Amino acid sequence: MTKEFEELKEALRQAPTPEARKAAAEAMRRYLAKSSKGSKPELVSLGYKKTYPHAVPLDKIPDELARNPEFYELMKRVVTKEK
Amino acid sequence: MPTVLAMSDYDLPTRSASGFLLRYIAPRVEPVQLLGMLVRRLPFRLAAPQSDIIIGVGHGDVDVFTGQNEAVLLEIGKYDPREVRGKVIKLLSCQCGVELCPDLVKNGAACAMGYTDDYVWVMDSDLASTPWADKEFAGKCLMPVVDGLNALLDGKSAGEALNIELEGYSRNAEAEDDELVKACIEFNRDNAVLLGNEGAKIRARPRIMFPFPPPPLPPSSILGLVSRILLLPGLP
Repeated sequence: MTKEFEELKEALRQAPTPEARKAAAEAMRRYLAKSSKGSKPELVSLGYKKTYPHAVPLDKIPDELARNPEFYELMKRVVTKEK
Repeated sequence: MPTVLAMSDYDLPTRSASGFLLRYIAPRVEPVQLLGMLVRRLPFRLAAPQSDIIIGVGHGDVDVFTGQNEAVLLEIGKYDPREVRGKVIKLLSCQCGVELCPDLVKNGAACAMGYTDDYVWVMDSDLASTPWADKEFAGKCLMPVVDGLNALLDGKSAGEALNIELEGYSRNAEAEDDELVKACIEFNRDNAVLLGNEGAKIRARPRIMFPFPPPPLPPSSILGLVSRILLLPGLP
């Protein structure tokens, strides 16, 4: 596992306070800067009436993480596997 | 016996997921195939009782599964048990495995497969008009779903089909370098559930693979406009 992803995982383990979300957004920015992806990748989900968009471009994930506690919780479950 | 294949395609995630079913599943099943603006409550309610399998792609929550433009197709307490009785049901959607799938089984479905959390994946939005070509990103999550469904259509049991899907996720996760994509694959694998009779089977369908992919999907903005012209607002 890369150092950047390990740091992202740690950052997402906190309760979704504004400070924790900001820290996770920074960690996500550092991870995305290291992992180059071609084309226009977006993170998508099939949720219904969620507060986060169905599709988030990867480079916009940090902004959504910082802004939205529900999206932070989703990313926490995806990345850390903690419920 | 008809197959209900409900493929909503009005936004990026539904186009991506439905694109894979359109390419790899639709050619081998007979109607009724509900695509785009047909994925609404009325066509679904008419088609479902005659089928032996219901396959659906759409947005969902713990107690609801929706079709085109979030038209509700199945919601706890709001569907006729005849629509699901004796059927094998697969819902590619978020969180339906929590309450809706158990409710479908309680109302007579042979089995119901879904996911207990959000179904998430990375897709290439540049390939929104030919989503089946997105092997680098979306295919890592969606091809295991396709493989599981093909196993069902080959006559394998629901339990065997789910295992094939789970093995596909594990194989793809192991081979994946990108940690975020890998986390999504493992997340979907860990949340896949099968409720009801694991030994449930449907009649095997012949294996047909079209040599050519379908034509590109029209932009969703055009689909939205057409559906607004053809369908009166509020039509179920």
